[in-house]
Amino acid sequence: MATDNTTAVTVRDLWLNFDTVPVLERINFEVKVGEFVCLVGPSGCGKSTLLNIIAGFLPCPRGAVRVANEPVTGPDPQRIFVFQENGVFPWLTVRDNIGFGLTRRTETERRATVAHYVEMVGLKGFEQSYPRELSGGMRQRVEIARALAAKPSIIYMDEPFGALDFITRLKMRADLVRIWQQEKQTILFVTHDIEEAVQLADRVFVMSPRPATITTVIPVNLSRPRDLDAPGYLETRDQIFDALGMSHRLDGAGT
Amino acid sequence: MSLKRTVTMVAAGWLVVITGLHVTLNLRAAIFQRRETAAQQFRIGFLPVTCHLTCPVTDFINRSQTGQGIFEPVRFSGWPELKEAYLAGYTPATFILAPMAIALREQGVPIKIVYLGHRDGTAMMVHKDSQIYRIEDLRGKRVAVPNRYSNQRLLLFKALRERGLNIADITLLEMPPPDMPAALYAKAVDAITSGEPFMGQTELDGYGRVLYLTKDVWPNFISCVLAVHENAIRDHRDQVQQLVTGIARSGKWLDQTVDHRLQASQFVAKHYYNQNPRLLEFVLSKPPDRVKYTNLVPLRKEFEEIERLGREAGILEGTAHFEDYTDTSFAVDDARLPAYAWEAPAP
Amino acid sequence: MNIHRLTLPLAVTGCCLLAWHGGVRLSGSDLFPTPGDVALGIVELGRKGLLVKYIVASLFRVTWGFTLAVIIGVPFGLLLGWYGRAFAAFNPLIQMLRPISPIAWIPVAILWFGVSDLAPIFLIFLASVFPITVSAIAAVRNMQPVYLRAAQNFGLSRVELFRRVIFPASLPQIITGLRIALGIAWLVVVAAEMIAVNSGLGYLIIDARNAGKRYDLVVAGMVLIGLIGLVLDLLMRQLEQFDEVRWGYGNR
Repeated sequence: MATDNTTAVTVRDLWLNFDTVPVLERINFEVKVGEFVCLVGPSGCGKSTLLNIIAGFLPCPRGAVRVANEPVTGPDPQRIFVFQENGVFPWLTVRDNIGFGLTRRTETERRATVAHYVEMVGLKGFEQSYPRELSGGMRQRVEIARALAAKPSIIYMDEPFGALDFITRLKMRADLVRIWQQEKQTILFVTHDIEEAVQLADRVFVMSPRPATITTVIPVNLSRPRDLDAPGYLETRDQIFDALGMSHRLDGAGT
Repeated sequence: MSLKRTVTMVAAGWLVVITGLHVTLNLRAAIFQRRETAAQQFRIGFLPVTCHLTCPVTDFINRSQTGQGIFEPVRFSGWPELKEAYLAGYTPATFILAPMAIALREQGVPIKIVYLGHRDGTAMMVHKDSQIYRIEDLRGKRVAVPNRYSNQRLLLFKALRERGLNIADITLLEMPPPDMPAALYAKAVDAITSGEPFMGQTELDGYGRVLYLTKDVWPNFISCVLAVHENAIRDHRDQVQQLVTGIARSGKWLDQTVDHRLQASQFVAKHYYNQNPRLLEFVLSKPPDRVKYTNLVPLRKEFEEIERLGREAGILEGTAHFEDYTDTSFAVDDARLPAYAWEAPAP
Repeated sequence: MNIHRLTLPLAVTGCCLLAWHGGVRLSGSDLFPTPGDVALGIVELGRKGLLVKYIVASLFRVTWGFTLAVIIGVPFGLLLGWYGRAFAAFNPLIQMLRPISPIAWIPVAILWFGVSDLAPIFLIFLASVFPITVSAIAAVRNMQPVYLRAAQNFGLSRVELFRRVIFPASLPQIITGLRIALGIAWLVVVAAEMIAVNSGLGYLIIDARNAGKRYDLVVAGMVLIGLIGLVLDLLMRQLEQFDEVRWGYGNR
């Protein structure tokens, strides 16, 4: 087991059953500090469950999860989780949501931090708005800003753009990458969208259907910002298709 | 303004305002009297019925003559609340139905009847369009009485039995007296009986007809009595005596002349009962012996008849006897007692 | 648009008043009052100086009974909603006491509180505290689990969790419970004033019965109670407009 300071997350021999039904099998991987890693798999395969275990929301009955070399016992402000929807508190303004994790800072510090991240996610002018007044994409931006403002070392993202439309998704991915390149956190990103994984990740972990295990790890050696027309793009994408056993033609064959 | 701020300010403001208003408008008298006098603590419960007329009359005459009363009359809306207040100790003395007092005694409540409230003063009314002309015609009909423990019910039982009928031959209902006139009007019941003025009201309004007056069926009928808690008798003898003497004197005053009764109708209706004076006038004077307020000493013979009827009607156990539930030491022979010498001032 | 919102209910109410008047006249009833009789009754109360006194008295008792119910019911409900063991312990008792009508409590109220304002306040408290507690419990139990996870993620202490997440997330449903409870409290005021208090709208109705033929005052009391109930409900609805809770009431 590598125990140096460049490893952010280590998962060893993780198995999970719900009652007698096996859900996760023999999960093993490592994530390096500052890496952007995507977990891809068909819906229902258990990838969200895995992410919740790593984040500390669910117990890990068999196997070991270590973050920063410590075993995970529960959620921690150093590792913020971004949810797919409704993660933003509807009774708080944008400003109060983003500042939610910052109560131990001084008033001036807090105001400065909030202003910084409001601008970074492109929500300037909406500080006093309430979530119900915002679009879905804007709400997700608030949640990301809230996560970032707490200055975590790791961000877990559970299909954060899944409820948004195609065009908004593209924009959100671009903004996410831009922010990540500035802030340099480690990101574990769960998605069922293969293109999304190629557009975002340094490495892609492909998961099988239930009981899920990590079948392949595919590195993405493309420069950022990712070009959807680049030859390597389609190649990488097809690698993931193959790993999932899917046909390259729209004939419904495969997984 | 935020929700929290608004709610706190409005709530605090409202609490202060409504409490202040309530205290100034409704409670001022209670707050600013520093200590209740003995008379004010001696509370007597009554209902707005002619059976209890001597209570307000005594109070009014005393206040007019001396500037203060000898007790504190408290008006209730119904028998249950009046009884509960007595049981809770709020009213050390109260007007109450005679069989109810006996039943309470049987249940161990320390209650003593010291005087009667009145004689007669009850009637049974039917709808003027009904075919009921004799008591026998009540067979199979619906009859409303004020309470299971009322003498009206016992009287009905006795009247039916004397004519060969049984209480099971009629349908008996318990109903609060104020609701009876409307029920008769709507022909929801066929006959009603309770104390006045609810019976007279149906006559006055033109839809009721007298089936019988109690004086025709059970002469010298007694219904309501004045009862006192044993502790009050033990600790405040003189106040209890003052009370009984006052009741006796106002009774005599009421029976002295019809004019006194008309005067009483005015001030009782306005200040105590909140009813129409015309109604009280009617009930107190037509005929003048519809209700009588003298000859109110509790007599063993009469109460034993009530006990007997109560047992036969199934509402009394028979475990309490005259000595247990009466204390006649306060009763005054009203032949020797002067009535109040008082006339109401001209309106 | 505002004109339309007023004219429709006014028109319906007006038709009902006409139907009421016509119904009484047609039936030839001597006892049931027409709307005109009721209006005159209200004027009479105003002239006697009783109108304001009675309204104030009833509002006073409802205010204090309801306030006590909120102060006790909301925290109690939040705790029971959160702590499963407390819920299991107290819920059967609550479900047993809840269906008991306040009228049944009158003898107990007299015994415990005598003949004073305290007895009606107690009855009104009883009537209000159950809907409030039940809605607080439901609010906590139905809360989105996402909020709790997000809050735990930020490392909130138990107290902070309640204050910053559980309470605000439950507030919309709690306010709905408050609105229902206030309606019930105001409804119970008639029963609560059956004890020998000598003021209030409920007392007015009961005393008017005893006064003989004053059904105009009985219905006047009912009308006043209804109007004030409407105003109270409108005021409570205003609470739902605040930003802190507006999110909880669906989209219109």
